[in-house]
Amino acid sequence: MLSGCAAAAQGAKLAEVEVICSYPIRPYTAIMMELARMVANGELDAEFIHGEGEHAQVSVVLGASAAGARAYTGSSGVGVTYAFEVYSPAAGGRYPLQMAIADRTLDPPGDFGSEHTDAMSARDQGWLMGWAATPQEVLDNTLINFRVGEDPAIMLPQFVCQDGYFLSHIPDKVIVPELSQVREFLPPYKAPHPLSTECPVSHGPQIRPDQGAPMDAQRAATFLEVPRVIERAVADYNRIFGRNYDPYLEKYKMEDAEVAYFIQGAHANTCKAAINRLRSKGLKAGMVRPRWVRPWPTQQIAEAFAKVKAVASVETSTSYGGAMRGGNLVHELRASLYDLERRPLVTSFMAGLGGDVILLEDFEYMAKILTQMVQEKKTRQHVYWIGFEE
Amino acid sequence: MPIKVPKDREVPFGAITPAPVGQQELFITSNWRIVRPVIDHEKCTRCFTCYASCPDSCWSFNEKEEKMEWNWKFCKGCQICIYECPADALSAAPELDFEDGVVRLEKPF
Repeated sequence: MLSGCAAAAQGAKLAEVEVICSYPIRPYTAIMMELARMVANGELDAEFIHGEGEHAQVSVVLGASAAGARAYTGSSGVGVTYAFEVYSPAAGGRYPLQMAIADRTLDPPGDFGSEHTDAMSARDQGWLMGWAATPQEVLDNTLINFRVGEDPAIMLPQFVCQDGYFLSHIPDKVIVPELSQVREFLPPYKAPHPLSTECPVSHGPQIRPDQGAPMDAQRAATFLEVPRVIERAVADYNRIFGRNYDPYLEKYKMEDAEVAYFIQGAHANTCKAAINRLRSKGLKAGMVRPRWVRPWPTQQIAEAFAKVKAVASVETSTSYGGAMRGGNLVHELRASLYDLERRPLVTSFMAGLGGDVILLEDFEYMAKILTQMVQEKKTRQHVYWIGFEE
Repeated sequence: MPIKVPKDREVPFGAITPAPVGQQELFITSNWRIVRPVIDHEKCTRCFTCYASCPDSCWSFNEKEEKMEWNWKFCKGCQICIYECPADALSAAPELDFEDGVVRLEKPF
């Protein structure tokens, strides 16, 4: 039985990370506590560096990755935003380091509860990013992300995200694989041009403005390659470790669903229980859980919802002033569905903010609204702030 | 939706470039210098403290002449090398004193 944090640490240990940089912030801190224990008693042979802050953390692992080491760090909440400056250099410099994020609501004031806004706010920085829903998936995502990120055609850093507390601190059954299996799945990291005295190179030089656009284009072109690398990696993962992951989405009872939820992270587990309840009452509900936010599985989402009549994204993050005046999943969801011949009705529900629980009753309320939308054949509201309505 | 960067606009992977073995001839950044270091080669002990202390790598060792060489293109006249030299081999002189002083330029490069 492992919590999400312990599972992440196991994943990092199995990946034989070489450099770890820590800085304490709840709830991700438990990952570093686990890793520190492993390094101290010889279970893991890695350089364990105490950063002076989250900005230093990402800078340190960037340097380590530039020198050719498999590097690992992590943070939560405002720690994630404190390191913000370094995210683009890490992605643009093509350093496949990994950052574990156990979500925490952004200040003000200090709220340990989980909200996805911390990591979501970095989604434009050019990293791979996705949420796990169980401790098992946290461990699996740790390994899959190193494999995809370190692929010679990709070379991108990765955010491996999990809900703070709900996933990071609540234990569940985890199958910890053998090191031999991991070595079969994950080859050693080979930096193409590491910092070295034998073959000196310059990383992060000054460029002219006319060189900026080609750099952006090359990075965008790389993201077009990521999906096939993900597919191959997940296929190998399923084969070697006996899992059954879809590369992009977890689809639950979608075959005949008339209404559906679009939800990421640990609250999806409650959603599935709610769907079972709703189905027993005769409503054909389903769920799609994206396992990646970057690259966004546009095509797969469109296909998954093509036959659904009404979809609701469940937002555990905020995008104040955004197009739908709610969260941020709904914008990319609607964009994914726009080209469908027959578009489902789309709405969104703000739930679980601040680290609140999302109750079965909340999911049933959402189902009630979705059913109403299907009957009326229209969307009344684009966002519902559950618990804060008149 | 393929993306194709034209060959003449390609940039190296991750902007990683071979380490500088020369200088960017056009990238001169010293035109605001008003004071420059002057070296007394007799006093100089070739300790390389100036090389280590310069923020812009303006001091290098000329192997052939066995003397420290100063780079006028990047020196901004911060005088750190002058303060750090343990042999008192470096002193500060006004840029105006020199025929090729950057303050005498008609236009800044």
